[in-house]
Amino acid sequence: MGGRLVRRLLCSYTLCMRTREELGWAFLFLLPLLWTLVVAFGYAFIRAVYFSFTEYDLFKPPSWVGLKNFNHLLEDSRFLLALSHTLVFSAIVTSVQTILALLLAVVVNQKLRGITLFRAGYYVPSISSSVVVTLIFAWLVHRRGVANFLLTALQQYALYLLVFAGAVALLHLLQLLWERWRWKAPTRFFDPLLLLTSLLGAALVTIGLHQLGVLRPRAVPPMEIAWVSTERTFLGVPLPLWSIMALNIWTTIPTFMVIFLAGLQDVPKELYEAAELDGAGSWQKLWYVTVPALRPVLFLVITLGLIGTLQMFDQVAVLAGLAPLDSIITLAYYIYWNMFGGGGLPRVGMASAAALFLALLTLAVVLLQRRFGISEKGVL
Amino acid sequence: MYRKWLILGLAGLLVLGLGTASSSQQPTSITLVGFSGDTPVVQALLTELQRIGKLPAGVNVVWQPEAVDMRQRVLNDLAAGGAALADIYYIDVFWAPEVAATGRLQSLNDFIARSTDLGPNLRDKWLEPLVDAFEFDGQIYAIAKDFNSLVIWYNKDAFRRAGVAFPSNTDTWFDFLQKAQAVNRAAPAGTAAINLNPDPVRFLPFAFANGMPFMLGLCAPFATEEAITAAEFFSIPNRFGFGKTSADVGAGWPGAAFTAEKGFIVNEGGWMLGPILNENPTLDFGAAFLPLTPDGKRANYLFTVGYGIPAGLPSARAQTAFQVVEALVSKEANLFVLERLAIPPRKELLADPKSPLANPQNPFQAGARVVFEATGQPGTRPFTFGAVGGPAYLDTLGAALTKIFNKEATVRAAMEEAALNLNKLLVDKGLVPRGVCPGT
Repeated sequence: MGGRLVRRLLCSYTLCMRTREELGWAFLFLLPLLWTLVVAFGYAFIRAVYFSFTEYDLFKPPSWVGLKNFNHLLEDSRFLLALSHTLVFSAIVTSVQTILALLLAVVVNQKLRGITLFRAGYYVPSISSSVVVTLIFAWLVHRRGVANFLLTALQQYALYLLVFAGAVALLHLLQLLWERWRWKAPTRFFDPLLLLTSLLGAALVTIGLHQLGVLRPRAVPPMEIAWVSTERTFLGVPLPLWSIMALNIWTTIPTFMVIFLAGLQDVPKELYEAAELDGAGSWQKLWYVTVPALRPVLFLVITLGLIGTLQMFDQVAVLAGLAPLDSIITLAYYIYWNMFGGGGLPRVGMASAAALFLALLTLAVVLLQRRFGISEKGVL
Repeated sequence: MYRKWLILGLAGLLVLGLGTASSSQQPTSITLVGFSGDTPVVQALLTELQRIGKLPAGVNVVWQPEAVDMRQRVLNDLAAGGAALADIYYIDVFWAPEVAATGRLQSLNDFIARSTDLGPNLRDKWLEPLVDAFEFDGQIYAIAKDFNSLVIWYNKDAFRRAGVAFPSNTDTWFDFLQKAQAVNRAAPAGTAAINLNPDPVRFLPFAFANGMPFMLGLCAPFATEEAITAAEFFSIPNRFGFGKTSADVGAGWPGAAFTAEKGFIVNEGGWMLGPILNENPTLDFGAAFLPLTPDGKRANYLFTVGYGIPAGLPSARAQTAFQVVEALVSKEANLFVLERLAIPPRKELLADPKSPLANPQNPFQAGARVVFEATGQPGTRPFTFGAVGGPAYLDTLGAALTKIFNKEATVRAAMEEAALNLNKLLVDKGLVPRGVCPGT
């Protein structure tokens, strides 16, 4: 009876399985996945939901405490801090990485000689070990790291840069005027050859002024900004969290770039041709053709970005030994910290409550985004 | 039908065979779980103990390295119990109290009392703080295998170059700072006399020596004058330019700066010996106790790991596990690990003619002896934080020291903020009612 019902359901919704044997084989092949889903996700989720209403430390039997853990979460200053960090992190990183990944995909979608090399090069950050990349990044942004070295150099050579920029502008203007006077016709402002000449000329002027002793590097103390081991904030967000955002954006963009690139292959060329006939420029084609055509892909990328950023853990965990905890803690790390890292016996109830909260928050943010932001079918 | 009976028969034979096999097995394998980094030493030690017949007859010790998180492993195994249990675990003093409080660790008092080597009183054989470290409510839950405490390591060439006397065990904070400043004046460009990070573990011995209590009643002690004065002293080198952090000189930790001769004074434990031997064996170095406060007080931290046995083992198996522990901490084992620059816990090694600690022949053995003696000084306390929890205590203090080192706050402001932050955490953890401590 049951088998007949299943067969009837399968027949009505998907392909029709004709024999009992076929059905058996199908379930047999599905079994490993179903087993993993049921044990690793279903069972664990149900246990976590149960534990979130209990006080449990792995050793004494769980005792039912109702909503106490959830009330405690809302009174816990570190949880509220982790929640605010997570929301800011998610909003900024998802927005920036989506925009940059789309732009990068459009760039590497050009038919140019050697573009495959660029595509592969841009993808490298995504295939590198997150832990290793984070450690290297920590050294780059150290007080005596490359970031501070470049900032110091920028201060030292600021006058050089100004002179160079001024010389470029002046030479370019002179050339444009010369060309216009010579050919009696307007010349393109960004003519590559003229621009190259201006750049070379400006470089020569700057080097010449340096050789004559007119320009000298400014004596400035080395910049020693602690980007990671500090509690200082910028726009209300701790500097170490900004550092992690920058790192996360850099490592995630290539993956999303590839997804966008796949989507771009399906955008009909006729749409661009029609837009060109209507006089659309590059930005107009991007905004009015590419973006609407990529809407389902955009929705996928934003959804994956939101889920990934709301559950940010690994890069925070690696930097946890270098930065003050309150400067980088996110919700996922708060859960880990309650379970394993906070000293004393594990607070399984609190960790489970926080985990449940994070799961519901993720679901809510994704649904809200879909409802009010970019959906696979909605209007931009 | 025939096939059905055949399958049933074979299954029956299989069950019978498995039952017979399991009943005939004897508990000869004793599992030891410890830090994966110890693998070469432990395997060499077990081979040596087997060779000299020190391990119990018929017992095979199986080493299980734990590469991720030893505390988590111990807690998980003890919580799971039964088949998940190994026979002997490394127990770190840092989290020993919480593990002992679970009631799932075996009290070793009876075993020690019956032991011909360790008994009847372990304090007669082991340095006192090493027993205190694992004793809770009169019950000893682990036997220290080796230990460390903090001492001042110094580069003799740097001191000679500056024409300054080497650090001594009687130096006060002021003597220490004066010598370091003199060393710094003669230091090559890009280096600094002291290599020191804003590390609360290196700071706390000075604060305790200066009279800061571990807790001020139920509240954080960081805003006390004793703590603030200690933080002033601790941060002077880095604030006034004769100290640098390890990353400032391109090193991963102060020990690496010391071995690379980019820093000439560091406040580290006996774990310095291995890196010096491996990376700069000709370095002319010495060691001295941490400097005394102006009124002649000193404190230190004891870092140690012991062997513990879970409470759930059958008594015969627990007895065998203890015999293995006895072998692992036997005098022969102590001498064996001492040769590999670990510092073992037997007091007698300081006077035993066979022991390099008694008559050091090289700076490595001399350094090990200084660490041994430093641990025995009054004021040495186990590196543990009770119910407050090490992470909470150290994180808040570390954030304050970082601010001080970065010159983002004055010493007083940073320490007062750290006190408020720890107080808030204590409330969040449910350890202190709201309103009892300042800032809550």
